Amino acid sequence: MKGPVSIALAAASCLSMLAALFMVFVYVPTEAEQGIVQRIFYFHLPCAWVAFLAFGIVAVAGALYLWLGHRIWDDLSYASAELGMLFCTLVLITGSIWAKPIWGTWWTWDSRLTTTFILWLLYGGYLLLRALADDTDEIARFAAVLGIVGVLDVPIVIISVRLWRTIHPAVLLTRQGEHGLEDPRMVATLLVALGAFTMVFVWLLWLRLATLRLRTRVAALRKDVALLDLAGAHR
Amino acid sequence: MLEGFGPLVRKDLRLELRSGESTVALVSLSLLILVVMVLAFGPGGARRAEVAAGALWVALIFAGTLGANQALLAERESGCIRGLLLSPLEPATIYAAKLAVAMIFMTEAGVAVLAVLVLFFNLEFGAALARLVPVFLLGALGLAALCTLLATVCGRVRAGAMLLPVLVVPLFTPALIAGCKASAALLAGQPIGAVTTWLKLLAAFDVLFVTAGYLLFEHVILED
Repeated sequence: MKGPVSIALAAASCLSMLAALFMVFVYVPTEAEQGIVQRIFYFHLPCAWVAFLAFGIVAVAGALYLWLGHRIWDDLSYASAELGMLFCTLVLITGSIWAKPIWGTWWTWDSRLTTTFILWLLYGGYLLLRALADDTDEIARFAAVLGIVGVLDVPIVIISVRLWRTIHPAVLLTRQGEHGLEDPRMVATLLVALGAFTMVFVWLLWLRLATLRLRTRVAALRKDVALLDLAGAHR
Repeated sequence: MLEGFGPLVRKDLRLELRSGESTVALVSLSLLILVVMVLAFGPGGARRAEVAAGALWVALIFAGTLGANQALLAERESGCIRGLLLSPLEPATIYAAKLAVAMIFMTEAGVAVLAVLVLFFNLEFGAALARLVPVFLLGALGLAALCTLLATVCGRVRAGAMLLPVLVVPLFTPALIAGCKASAALLAGQPIGAVTTWLKLLAAFDVLFVTAGYLLFEHVILED
């Protein structure tokens, strides 16, 4: 995909990601208690943020599709769901890598892990629907409704699972209202990483959206060609 | 607002009275699930209340998704759905009617499951079982609301019948957690006051998804 927007997004993504890598591996001090493995947090949290952002976009774009009826909203919703799934998977993987040395286990049914996993299942279902179904307006509307219902479900999943059990560390806000990152360099690194992952997400979203738009156009053109052939055969 | 609700519900119930298809399918499936659960976990033991509660909800989930699937498939197969859409009924009214019918079927299956649960797990008939009724009804309403909304996928997608539980079960997890926890506590002999948090959660879930279904149903029922 060439074009000024795409090139600008690619450049911004590469530069910010380089900066984030430098800060995570060189600049930021090692955390006193957890040691080197804590650095994965600077990838883990931005992935989680991007996953939630992507799932929010799925619902908002779905609602806009139902309201305005233009296929671009459906394509945006689909592209965002795919990326949300990717980043949600990364959250689960980076979390597991961190949990093994710190908690002594790859997986535990803690509330945030469970919530993330349920979210992953929700959007796995959404993508399975997209994969199995034909590319029709009916399915697009159904997917939009599913995306909206999925996002409505998230807060209530969080509440129910939190009532169920929790051991996840409160990094950003503890109950006393303090955040767990003592060093200002840690905060700076986290912010840069957040920016970098968001840039990468926007870039990938742009690329995916462009291919989906192309696909829609090709399908329309193919239909036209088939109709022309049919008309020619009649003559 | 709900004009035509009564006739729609009566139509589905009359169909069911004459054929009995859904009742037989729902009740036999939930009984089989209970048998599987008893064989897998054993009827006795210290965690009897939890296993019984879990069995109840597993049976409810599978019976519910199967029932919703069945109800909409019948409409599609004979082209009934087109007739409904051509009639001057609001799509939201169709949703409300389908939801009511799904609730009736699920309650039916629930009564059968509870009766057999008592036999299989040697529970006491009485107060503990009566206290389970609101938990069960609230859970069933949430499940019926989701299934009725999403069952329209069946028939439109290859393997739609397989897809429905894949979509519904993750969405239903909050109610499932609340339902299992509340039923286990009640079956273990705790008073209803001990589970009010879970009941509130179930009620919130129901309000959210009944409203969502009511508002969004027109988008999933319309055909191209």
